[in-house]
Amino acid sequence: MKSVTTRYLMTCAAIGAAAGVLLIPVNFLAFAFTATAPMLVAVIVGFWLVGPVTALALVRRPGAALLTSGVSGVISMASPAGPSAIVTTLMVGAALELGFLITFYKVWKPWLFYATATAFQLYYLYTAFTFYEMETTSTWTQVLFCTLMMVSAWAAVWAGLRLAARLADTGVARGLAPRRTVANADTARADV
Amino acid sequence: MSAATVQAPVVAEHAVVAAPARASAPRRAFLRTANPLVSLAGPFPLMVVVFFVADLRVLAAMGVATAILVVAGTLPGPRVSAAVLLGAPLTAGIVAVSFGFWVDAAAVASTPVLVQAGPWAYHAGQLEIGLLTGLRVVDLMLLALLGALATTGPDVVRASIQHLRIPYRLGYAALAAVRFVPRFGHELEVIRSAHRVRGVARGRGPVAATRRQAGYAVPLLAGGIRHAERVSYAMDARAFGAHSTRTERTTHPWRLRDTALVLSFWAACVAALVLAAGV
Repeated sequence: MKSVTTRYLMTCAAIGAAAGVLLIPVNFLAFAFTATAPMLVAVIVGFWLVGPVTALALVRRPGAALLTSGVSGVISMASPAGPSAIVTTLMVGAALELGFLITFYKVWKPWLFYATATAFQLYYLYTAFTFYEMETTSTWTQVLFCTLMMVSAWAAVWAGLRLAARLADTGVARGLAPRRTVANADTARADV
Repeated sequence: MSAATVQAPVVAEHAVVAAPARASAPRRAFLRTANPLVSLAGPFPLMVVVFFVADLRVLAAMGVATAILVVAGTLPGPRVSAAVLLGAPLTAGIVAVSFGFWVDAAAVASTPVLVQAGPWAYHAGQLEIGLLTGLRVVDLMLLALLGALATTGPDVVRASIQHLRIPYRLGYAALAAVRFVPRFGHELEVIRSAHRVRGVARGRGPVAATRRQAGYAVPLLAGGIRHAERVSYAMDARAFGAHSTRTERTTHPWRLRDTALVLSFWAACVAALVLAAGV
């Protein structure tokens, strides 16, 4: 804990605060959509990924996704989701960390962001299928639901990486993220 | 920027964020006066249980019990109470019907037809599966609302630091973030004015509006992160995190009744699972 700088904590807090503000209306929408049109819930699931992806891509330090999503959960508690918002966001943050944990936080290429998000979405699809009794729905409904959810996640990762690259350009992460060597200079910038 | 304003998010947080929330909670509302962690540890296992219970009667009973608990336990005032008590059955009904449409009609073709319109028919089996989802949705919403009305973010963070041994530096990052939010609002106004003066992304219509909104994201976040950086230096200058523990202005003691509340929530989980398996 001592090795973590206050600047790192506060940077994650700032990104988390912004993500949390975004999640408050999304939580309201999620409540409304769950009740009326579950298809639209699949469209908005990506919003939970933008904050942690941005933080992880910008700060490039272990725990950034978990901390950012935890903070965004605390902020978005001011919605009908209540404390369960923290559980949701922490779950998303932990899932995003996993992909980078198993590569020992050495790989920061966009594909790992996409792969991790895809793996998490597959798990999320499984729980959504149980909750909505999706087995009973027609095949095209299931296909549409899965497609929307995946596209939503990929769009969120794309937006998060792009945001992180543009934030890195402004210089706010200078001295915070590990020095980007010439060889892999701004992979986020080059590959997005 | 003076040091006082830089430090403000951390110092003023107690007074500005926490105090009104606690003061507005009536003393009688037993879930609001309970430890904030109760509204996390109690309802959450029940939310998981909702996923696995596929019994209409058990789900309905859970919904009724939670709705009563929301109103009696948090005393949210007449308007919210009415919205909960009337909205819950209404939502369950709407979801039941609308979800029924998604159900594959071929699988429930043997059940009686409720509505017939030409070749298209709405079967009782569709409504039954829809009702299952409807009750789940309502149960989940009510359980979430229970926590939302019973506690606030900063209270949960402080209670987590005190009882879950979450390092206070992490907790205070979250508490500071709460104070960043109004700043974002102010900063957004400044950025909006600056863009307008410079004529960035002018035009009418939804496309131009979306482009304009997207253009605010980077300067807003960059400004937020720069502010966070200054706050962090001010905190470091005041030896934030120098000691392994710190004192708190607001404490959230864990009382016997908190244990009793959590245990009764967990007992409800077991009861729901047993009833769903036994019926």
